[in-house]
Amino acid sequence: MSLKNFSKLFTDLDSINSTNNKIEVLKNYFLSNKPIDNSWAIYLLTGKSNKRFVSGRYLKNLFSQVYEYPQWLIDTCYLKVGDSAEVITLLLKNKNYSRNKKISNITLNKLLSKTLPDLSKLNEYEKNLEIKKIWETLPEDDHLIFNKILTGTFRVGVSIGLITKSIAKLINVDEEIISHRLMGDFKPSVDSYEFLINKKIKLEELNSKPFPFLLANTFEDRIIKNSINDFQFEWKYDGIRIQLVKRSGNISLWTRGQELVNESFPELVDKMSNIKDDFVLDGELLVWDFQEQIALNFSFLQKRINRKSPTRSIQIKYPIIFIAYDLLEIKGRDIREIKLENRRIELEKYFSTWQNQPKNNISDVFKICDLIYPKDWSDAQSYKEKSRENNTEGLVIKNKRSIYTSGRKKGIWWKYKVDPMQLDAVLIYAKGGSGKRAGLYTDYSFALWKDKELIKFASAYSGLTNNEIKELDKWIRKNTIEKFGPVRSLKPEMVFEISFEKIQISKRHKSGIAVRFPRITKWRKDKKITDANSLENAYELMKKI
Amino acid sequence: MRTKEKDLITYKDGNLYCELADVWIDPRNPVSRALVTHAHFDHFTFGCEEYISTYETAILLKERVGENINIKTFDYGENFKINGINISFHPSGHILGSSQIRFIFAEEKWLISGDFKIQKDETCRHYEIVKTDYLISECTFGLPIFKWDETNKIANNISNWITNSPEKTSLLFCYSLGKAQRLLNEISQTNFKGNIYTHSSINKINNCYKKLGIDINETIKIENKKEIDKLKGNLILLPPSLSKGSYLKNFKNIQTAFASGWMSIRALRKRSGYDKGFAISDHADWDGILEVVKKSEAKNVFFHHGDSESISKYLIEKESINVLFFQGII
Repeated sequence: MSLKNFSKLFTDLDSINSTNNKIEVLKNYFLSNKPIDNSWAIYLLTGKSNKRFVSGRYLKNLFSQVYEYPQWLIDTCYLKVGDSAEVITLLLKNKNYSRNKKISNITLNKLLSKTLPDLSKLNEYEKNLEIKKIWETLPEDDHLIFNKILTGTFRVGVSIGLITKSIAKLINVDEEIISHRLMGDFKPSVDSYEFLINKKIKLEELNSKPFPFLLANTFEDRIIKNSINDFQFEWKYDGIRIQLVKRSGNISLWTRGQELVNESFPELVDKMSNIKDDFVLDGELLVWDFQEQIALNFSFLQKRINRKSPTRSIQIKYPIIFIAYDLLEIKGRDIREIKLENRRIELEKYFSTWQNQPKNNISDVFKICDLIYPKDWSDAQSYKEKSRENNTEGLVIKNKRSIYTSGRKKGIWWKYKVDPMQLDAVLIYAKGGSGKRAGLYTDYSFALWKDKELIKFASAYSGLTNNEIKELDKWIRKNTIEKFGPVRSLKPEMVFEISFEKIQISKRHKSGIAVRFPRITKWRKDKKITDANSLENAYELMKKI
Repeated sequence: MRTKEKDLITYKDGNLYCELADVWIDPRNPVSRALVTHAHFDHFTFGCEEYISTYETAILLKERVGENINIKTFDYGENFKINGINISFHPSGHILGSSQIRFIFAEEKWLISGDFKIQKDETCRHYEIVKTDYLISECTFGLPIFKWDETNKIANNISNWITNSPEKTSLLFCYSLGKAQRLLNEISQTNFKGNIYTHSSINKINNCYKKLGIDINETIKIENKKEIDKLKGNLILLPPSLSKGSYLKNFKNIQTAFASGWMSIRALRKRSGYDKGFAISDHADWDGILEVVKKSEAKNVFFHHGDSESISKYLIEKESINVLFFQGII
């Protein structure tokens, strides 16, 4: 089987909108290709790893060098296309380079297990020659796939759920099982594929794997028709969701993105290993202020997430805590089917047992979440409003009688988030978007008043409808003051309502403040720029917290 | 750079203008005398006192503007004079009747390319190479990322797209003048043997083409749009304006596609809202424009319509061609 089949799969998936048809196409692909190629296909389609063999910039430079093509022209094309891999694909098509007559029939397996990894063994000159050779021997239709895999930008509108469904359908097994098998690390091989499509289900094989996560829905007003006593209330922490799996003595820390992050948090792995029992806990990992007993800002956690094997001093500077809110498995017994209120009793019971064994010494990395007991729904609301005081995002409301299922099922968990903070700001810069938004100005910068000057305070990409984006794009082109590369400075005229979750002092920014998750919530065509807020207003918001 | 006064053709109020002959080329506002390169809506306007075009363009214009316009026609290659300026139309390969316009005065030749393409199209005359001193060329697709596939490859892709979904009605959106007829002609040469239905706006143009001696295969006019859902396995050609709004709202068993050069870019394809995009264009691609610039032997080139900056810079740097810029063009 050559790369061609995978190219075709990509093209098909890319142009089909119906979920059922996509599943059908995937199923047929798996049926007609070799296990090893299927394994790689799954690896790529689920985005398990998007290893970047060379960067997009490198690819563009390489093309420019080997074909003596002007760099500025490639850059101009990029602005229109928004994807390096695709630009080079289109340019390759245009240039009728002396194509090697021998067409390569490289398989997906060979490409990913040999050809691409081997690139790192070559020096730059050899590497460039090798890529050029592949371009000139690969059939034209496979260029896009090759360039995308090469630059680690292979993405197609297929969710892990869709892959799960198509494999489940292929072998006629429950989706849950496949979803479980697909969790965590996936090393492409004949074995891993055979494991995936094995109709027999073995427990040990699934040992280190987390359960599919249960996700919260957004709060709906109709919930308040129910008695407050039907629900459990917790603070909604702003950390990373983690399932802490301990089986046969081994700890695995799984994120919701199914990444294993043991290496980033060795102190947690270490301490939790002291506990005798096996278990699976669901909870939140945070950087914690142990003196104030309060969560620290997400930016502290970011110092830890992407750092593997953190030094002792980093561990002390950014101390982490795992706050468990659910117990899913204990001593090998899956208790997800037990009601939440009973799982909570078990959680508390085991936690106090573990904590009371002094040699465990777990209390500086592990606690269970405190519950909140609002008297009624309006009390719940006032708890929510106070959530910023303890650096949380609001409340999580859980149905006491619910079982732990997977996905975002209705009627089980809700997030009850505090309203965002808002400021009206003036649009002052726009930058061209990439990917789907290539060729449109979609990255915006907004400013607030400081005396008579507009000072940039936030950038936002999302929040407008497609029609608004098009309308604004037209306006931007007509109201440009200056162009600096892809950025345009604009006539200050348009006012937008910007919402965000957090505001804090920042020395890095000219405005002196940084906001988290800024997004556009309204195009205030009714407002003049003189109606926009000032930095003063932003500082006031900060004081309120 | 030459001064504006000396140029035979200038850019005035957003239109091309020949002052000595006092004629406008494809003006977008009513003028006394308009030369029309072809009958697409963005190349003429209602209300001019006099129109001059090829015979085919005149028939199509009358279909669109009405019978009562004052229009003079000339054959391709036929010379005519206005205020002492020699003018002639030459095939531009864009659509039926489309032309390049050449002006000669005091032994200086100016050529306005009009919209043009080099690719095969059996529904109109093929592009004719015309030598000139000054070339004013369109560059709608003036970037090297645009490289058209062979027309029959696209036609086969369309045919496969329809036959691979026999349970659906395939709706292909395309410009009703030119693109629709070219597609009909190409699709008739593929394996697709189902029925082809057309929207009335396309049907009208088909009839004009037939009157002008172009062989267009038989299509069925859609009388009642409700039937669309039931025409599974068949093809329907519709103008792009119908893809927006409520026209498609109640159909369940359809798949949609758009036939346009812009569909070669994935982001535009995704954003277009159609299920599928077929990159087929009646404009020249990058290589096509470069070929025309070269073969016209023009020593001076102007570009308009599209990203003129890039192709100008490329020609100046790589091909040492003298590219000029109109004053007042955006």
